[in-house]
Amino acid sequence: MLTSLYVEGDTFLHRQRPGAKLALILVVGLALYVTESLTVQAVAAVIAAAIYFSLPIPFREAIYRLKPVLFTIAVLGLINIWLLSPHEALVSTLRLLAVVFLAAAVTATTRIADFMETITWALQPAEKLGIVRAADVGLALGLVLRFLPDIFAHYEGLKHAHAARGIAFRPLRALGPLIILTLKDADAIADAIDARGIRGR
Amino acid sequence: MDIRFSDCSVKFKTHVALHPFSLVLSERRIGIIGLNGSGKTTFAKLIDGLVKPTSGTVTVNGLDTVKDAKAVLSVAGFIFQNPAQQLIMPQVMEDIVFGLKAHGLGPAEAEARARAALARFGIEALGPRRVHELSGGELQLAAIASVSATGPDILIFDEPVNQLDLKNRRRVVEAIHALPEHAIVISHDLPLIEDFDRVLVFHEGRIVFDGLPAAAIKHYREIAGC
Repeated sequence: MLTSLYVEGDTFLHRQRPGAKLALILVVGLALYVTESLTVQAVAAVIAAAIYFSLPIPFREAIYRLKPVLFTIAVLGLINIWLLSPHEALVSTLRLLAVVFLAAAVTATTRIADFMETITWALQPAEKLGIVRAADVGLALGLVLRFLPDIFAHYEGLKHAHAARGIAFRPLRALGPLIILTLKDADAIADAIDARGIRGR
Repeated sequence: MDIRFSDCSVKFKTHVALHPFSLVLSERRIGIIGLNGSGKTTFAKLIDGLVKPTSGTVTVNGLDTVKDAKAVLSVAGFIFQNPAQQLIMPQVMEDIVFGLKAHGLGPAEAEARARAALARFGIEALGPRRVHELSGGELQLAAIASVSATGPDILIFDEPVNQLDLKNRRRVVEAIHALPEHAIVISHDLPLIEDFDRVLVFHEGRIVFDGLPAAAIKHYREIAGC
């Protein structure tokens, strides 16, 4: 069972500052979007995958964490092949893979509290301009990372419930109950945040 | 503690969750019992301002739960049915520190207060543990430590021993009994509230009994037919 997106460790990435890691994603992401070179995209995807799979995460869990995103990228790739040229489809697929592997590596090596503090700090100028409440954005990001494993757990629970009743499991059929369970969780979590007086201080 | 409900009612669209009532609560240990859907949780959430009254007012130590909502949250802490959903950070220590920082404490003071909160309940070992790895009883104790660390006068529990095994139940019950704070406890576990100072029985959105535990439990059993 996936219990947390953060993985304990002392890798090179673990030792880097959260702000530097987020900046790396931003820079790499932008750089990959300004080039159409298949070679560059392929090299970037391979390096990002190597970084991700070198982390102290068992291979099966490493794949499990990214399964929904990889599935989505595969679907997008197929649509792109249909709509664009094979070269363009391959470039966009490799680009997405590179960014996803890099983002997953950063997520696995950064504590949620550090993420939240960095985002809140980075958004201070925007708060001063009255555009956002920096702490709220930090909290929102933290909540997504903290409770994502709970959504995975609900998904597994629905799979087991189907199996227990001898019904073939179809992910699409589980989507409705999964959304309802997630929304109910969101309500309870929002209540808890209000009760603890965490927002609006 | 001084909690006052004045001609208070709660309605969700067309459903009346709580019919109009007036009440004053001041006892150190107050139990709330009743069938599922009888209005217990809505009543408890009124105290913390999580539910606003449709009519009337609720005050906690003189603070109005609507007008002084933020101040009320500092006075009354709420421990939810599923404590896993109230521990926001992945590690117990991180969560307590996070809650304290949100209340304006600096990092060093927050960490010291968090350690003191864990020590108070004898759960120092849970500090570095991940929330997902904790048992039901550990989760409940971590949530109590997390909420009480901010120093509320009143702690409100929504079914704190629900689904706990006997060992964990005992740990949580002992922790609740030892609290110096006032406690308002919703519970289906009747032995938990047997020695409380006052027990309210809810039925179909109304307080149908208000008195000592033994008589309240008898009344509740009559309603439940068992």
